[in-house]
Amino acid sequence: MSMKITGKIDKKGFGMGTWALVSNSGEVYELKNAPAELKKKGLAVTVTGTIRNDVMTIAMIGPVLEVESFS
Amino acid sequence: MKKFLLFALFLLGMGWAISNFTGLATQGIYQSIVLDFQENIGEGAIAQQVEILQTKYQLSPRLNSEFSATDHVYIVQGDRQQLKLLKKNFAKYAEYIEPNYIYQTTDQGDYHSNLVPNDPLYGKQWNFRNIHVEKAWASTKGNGVTVAVIDTGVSQVPDLANTKFAVGYDFVSDRTEVIDDNGHGTHVAGTIAQSTNNNLGVAGIAYEASIMPLKVLSAEGGGTVTDIAEAIKYAADHQAGVINLSLGGAGESSAMSEAIEYAYNKGVVIIAAAGNANQNAAGYPARYPHVIGVSALDVMGAKTPYSNFGAGVDISAPGGVIDGDDEAGGILQNTIDPDTGESVFATFQGTSMAAPHVAGVAALLKASGLQSPDEIINVLKQSARPVAEDPFNHFGAGHLDAGEAVALAEKGQITFRDFFRWLRDNGYLNIRFWLDGGAIALVPKIAMMLGSYLLAWIIRNYFVFSWRSSFLHFGLIAGSSGLFFLKGFYIFDLPQWPMRVMGSSLTELGGTIQGSSVLNPLFASVLIPFVLIILLLSHPELKWLAIGSNIGVSSALAISAFLQPTIWGIGSGAIAQIFLLVNALLCFGLARLAVKPEVRLS
Repeated sequence: MSMKITGKIDKKGFGMGTWALVSNSGEVYELKNAPAELKKKGLAVTVTGTIRNDVMTIAMIGPVLEVESFS
Repeated sequence: MKKFLLFALFLLGMGWAISNFTGLATQGIYQSIVLDFQENIGEGAIAQQVEILQTKYQLSPRLNSEFSATDHVYIVQGDRQQLKLLKKNFAKYAEYIEPNYIYQTTDQGDYHSNLVPNDPLYGKQWNFRNIHVEKAWASTKGNGVTVAVIDTGVSQVPDLANTKFAVGYDFVSDRTEVIDDNGHGTHVAGTIAQSTNNNLGVAGIAYEASIMPLKVLSAEGGGTVTDIAEAIKYAADHQAGVINLSLGGAGESSAMSEAIEYAYNKGVVIIAAAGNANQNAAGYPARYPHVIGVSALDVMGAKTPYSNFGAGVDISAPGGVIDGDDEAGGILQNTIDPDTGESVFATFQGTSMAAPHVAGVAALLKASGLQSPDEIINVLKQSARPVAEDPFNHFGAGHLDAGEAVALAEKGQITFRDFFRWLRDNGYLNIRFWLDGGAIALVPKIAMMLGSYLLAWIIRNYFVFSWRSSFLHFGLIAGSSGLFFLKGFYIFDLPQWPMRVMGSSLTELGGTIQGSSVLNPLFASVLIPFVLIILLLSHPELKWLAIGSNIGVSSALAISAFLQPTIWGIGSGAIAQIFLLVNALLCFGLARLAVKPEVRLS
């Protein structure tokens, strides 16, 4: 089930660094399969993607959002 | 007969070993000799002997100190040869003549100081000092335990070169070769079992444990619950004792929950990170039953800003905080740079770092002898340093304490290590203690025991003899030497006499309770063996105790006659020697007579 989330890109300092999307309402999503263009700290975006509850990660910063597209 | 020959060979070997041992007497350093003159020869005679030392031997004897005058303790310069000479000519005037050994402090330093590893970056591992790991290392380093690291894989970085590895599996690429392409798993494995005392990098907690690398997370740091569940089962099926899961997510999974139950029922301890979202309640898998959920602490022992808390947090451990460029508050281990694949010493933060601290300590507990996961969980919780005010459950049972945990695990069970440590701390492991300490005269004791078996063997050649009777051996040992090694044991605050009684032969018993080495004529005679024969001869089994005692006492008396013939009321002259020898012969004769009827019967 695809969803759209608007917010800013951030890099969280877990492991070698994890790309995250902090929504305008303050929720933190861990980005999965983020393309290189999205990996820019402070970038304001709307990401379209799916929440992957079957995935576990080393970052554990919040729900895993598998990126499908962004604008 | 075969058994006896083996025993004789054993005694022979022991005798050879002792005769070849060079004790402190031949190794110690001394440049002077102590002479303690007997007081009863009179001041005049002592002065005369001192003068002889000066004139005849060109020595300049001096009192050891101003306190030595009443005891007449003199010091003269001299070496081994001089000592021999003095012993020969002055023995009759002296209480003792012996080397004036130079004692030196042993440079062992503080008890734990030898447990500080030589790894050059160890000083930066504040996290290990916070959990008191050095105290735990005094007991165990995790040898024999396998810890499965279910993570991004583990690469063989230089500071894992001495670390043992169990066969792992890469569930991402489905192959047995497990290479870390992220850097996370190698870091986690480092906290658990980084090669330590290898003059390189940093240390690990259970550095003698084995790492089982199981890769379930991709280079990006994520993986599916299916792979993770399979890895948990793999670990349980391949003798892992501990599983570390420095990973988490939001989704509940029955596959994973089943795998955890499976591993738990196989006795595996499972530890998981609480999660880094600073939210109330740990994520999965930390929140499953039978999984120890770990929250993360900073240098000061406070909750880190990111750590989850609340339900599912069982204990807290160092996870570190990296503040911008200041990495001193993070957790430092050896890992790989995922961009280049090269080895780096990197500082990480996270509940991912806290969990392997607990996994490492769990391995130490397993190595200490704790078996079931419940026992280990209890000890981890009970030994944790509780935090007085913890309304949000930031810390679970408290701060992880490796030293206390291992101490608690070993409490109540007297381990071989405890006994060994007790022996070592009291000096019993040093063979010099036995030979030079003066606690017991070892050589006569061995001779007495050997002698008793020799006599028994002589009788055996002429008469039917039951070597198999343990009563015979008991009698032989009790009569000849006793359990003489027990004599050297002193236990704090306990009376000494029980050890001395068990350590004494029948012949010595008369003086044992008072701690005198002078023989009592009632005990050092045929009397007790004779009474034993009268009382026990009609009993088919116990008579061997009496016979053994007779032979043993016979041997002890004969050897005493030559080596230490001092008897209370008789002295130490020829009369005492004759007394001892006659009694020895009587004992031997009695033993022969007692064995004789067996011949007629058979």
